[in-house]
Amino acid sequence: MLQMWLNGIEGLLQLRELAFLGLGMFIGLFFGAIPGLGGAAALALLMPLTYGLEPFTALALSGGVMGGVPMGGSITAILLNTPGSAPNAATAIDGYPMAQQGRAGLAIGAAASANATGGIIGTVSVLAILPIAKDIVLLFGPPEFFLLALLGLVIVSTTSRGKLLRGLITGAFGLMVAFIGYNDVSGGERFTYGIEYLWDGVHLVPALIGLFAVAEMINLSVKGGSVSNNAASVKITSMTGGLLQTFRHWPTVIRGSLIGTIVGAVPGVGGVVASFLSYSMTVQAAKESERDTFGKGNIKGVIAPEAAINAKDCSALIPTLAFGIPGGVEMAVFMGILIVHGMQPGPLMLVDHQVEIYGLIWALTASCVLASLVGLLLVRPLSRVTLLDSQILVPIVLCVAFAGSYAIDMTIENVVLTAVFGVIGYLMIRFDYPRLTIVIALVLGASAERNFHQSMLMSDGKWSIYLNRPICLVLLAGMIALLLLPVARAVSQQFAGRKALPQRGSA
Amino acid sequence: MKRVFGTPVTDYMPALGLFAITIAYLATAYHYSPDARAVPAGVAWVMLVLVSFDLISRTRTNIGLALMHWLNPAGDPDQTKDQKRYPALKQLSAVIWVAGFAAALVLIGILYAVPLYVFSSLYFRGRRPLLLAIGMSATATAMIWLLFAVVLRLELYPGMLFGGA
Repeated sequence: MLQMWLNGIEGLLQLRELAFLGLGMFIGLFFGAIPGLGGAAALALLMPLTYGLEPFTALALSGGVMGGVPMGGSITAILLNTPGSAPNAATAIDGYPMAQQGRAGLAIGAAASANATGGIIGTVSVLAILPIAKDIVLLFGPPEFFLLALLGLVIVSTTSRGKLLRGLITGAFGLMVAFIGYNDVSGGERFTYGIEYLWDGVHLVPALIGLFAVAEMINLSVKGGSVSNNAASVKITSMTGGLLQTFRHWPTVIRGSLIGTIVGAVPGVGGVVASFLSYSMTVQAAKESERDTFGKGNIKGVIAPEAAINAKDCSALIPTLAFGIPGGVEMAVFMGILIVHGMQPGPLMLVDHQVEIYGLIWALTASCVLASLVGLLLVRPLSRVTLLDSQILVPIVLCVAFAGSYAIDMTIENVVLTAVFGVIGYLMIRFDYPRLTIVIALVLGASAERNFHQSMLMSDGKWSIYLNRPICLVLLAGMIALLLLPVARAVSQQFAGRKALPQRGSA
Repeated sequence: MKRVFGTPVTDYMPALGLFAITIAYLATAYHYSPDARAVPAGVAWVMLVLVSFDLISRTRTNIGLALMHWLNPAGDPDQTKDQKRYPALKQLSAVIWVAGFAAALVLIGILYAVPLYVFSSLYFRGRRPLLLAIGMSATATAMIWLLFAVVLRLELYPGMLFGGA
């Protein structure tokens, strides 16, 4: 085991790998600072560029991006009350008031050190869990993997904050799209409507570039102006004090990191839950007299979510790598990079690609620490990015997005697919349908169908196979509970009269 | 605007669109062998049920409000009425610019489409100074060419009109 860790570090400590790690970290910082872009868009844009790279180098680049994004997001959350990515919204609750009070430097310093510390704690936790994860994963067969794919979709739908139904709809829509193309079971093509390009199925990477990068750019050009119009608040004061504050409040860092690690390991729950849960637990754990200061510039309110976000990024690798179920959108796109480089996420990956996995974990950790340091140095110019006019930002990002989509396999149809998914993605934003479930369905659809057919072959077509295996029963129970829980909660609230249901004709 | 069950007709459009797509998908699925259609058809039937719930939840009837409250509280019109809405024409224009750029890439290739799109986007749409538009379009084209053609050694698509397949 120790040898694998060392091999991972050794692989990373090459000039080429370190250069790409640094490049990824800068890109991550840049994309993290721009609300709406974030890690998923950065990885989606970079995916085609990794084609010419060695797998290990591509992982170093990806690790750099994933490690850099949270720091970029926290800078704009604190300075402009504009979270770069959704999880950073929790940071803004106390970070922005600190900036208004002239303590922006303190807040950014604390965010940077909490980010780095959270990343390190998350890495240690993942390194401890990974060896056990392999044994657990090997207990899973086709029936379990089929149900696990469904459970992943259900979990993601239920965590779409009040959008259970629409989450399930986009999940089902994603599955329908995932079934397009050549079918291994019947040996023929399906739903291609005579389009030869679709015989290979809907290409994941151009679809993801469309769903995120293009859709966000359409949205930005509709909204107009710049990402942030509040130039007055881009003001920085001393930052070193903040670095020390994190270590002074070490219980908050440890708690946040552990919450991030646990939440990150659950597929689809994501950074928003991790950061807000960490924030609320910190408020709950505070003394009665201190609680009133939260939301008004308490530094613990910055440290807690930031530690959780980076720890979550590390542990989200567990379901992604071990089960092939992405922990979130960013991980779903990252899975695309793994697949592009011939690494199929799932149980065998933990056996066949151990050096790459450990290299990736170290890359992610190194990037967290480096991004925190560089973020502190670059905070002034980075904050200006959010003031860039959409009229300039949108064409540049779209050019890179479409050219990148074409470059994946030099197929111009990719560009059309990206545009189509860009429009679909924008419609999903416009009509308030979550996009995460469609991504997970696109990733899991084919394997879910294959595992379903294999299960049916194993049982001579008897559905009882899903009831005869203990792990299947646990997964089924989990799925039913997750589906019923939000409904039961809403119904009980309604009947208890705590939340009165609006009656017909009301406004 | 015309209302059906207390809800503007346009609010049903997303669910109705999904309903129509699913029906077409299901009709296609039944042309395939039982093995090939088993999972896709199953998913499509589930989709129809879910979209039906979505349609009903959009009505301002008691059952619609209850479904919205239980299954999709974030989509409640009362909670989303304060959200900023943008004119349909503006949204359509943003989509058309993207579609136009994609079409230009296919027809005239990357090296012509990129400067054309960046220039027209800045000069005609953004009403930016001519020099800035020219500078930005040249920079963007150079960046794409350097990154893809020089660094990654990929052949940039020449466009259907110029011999692209």
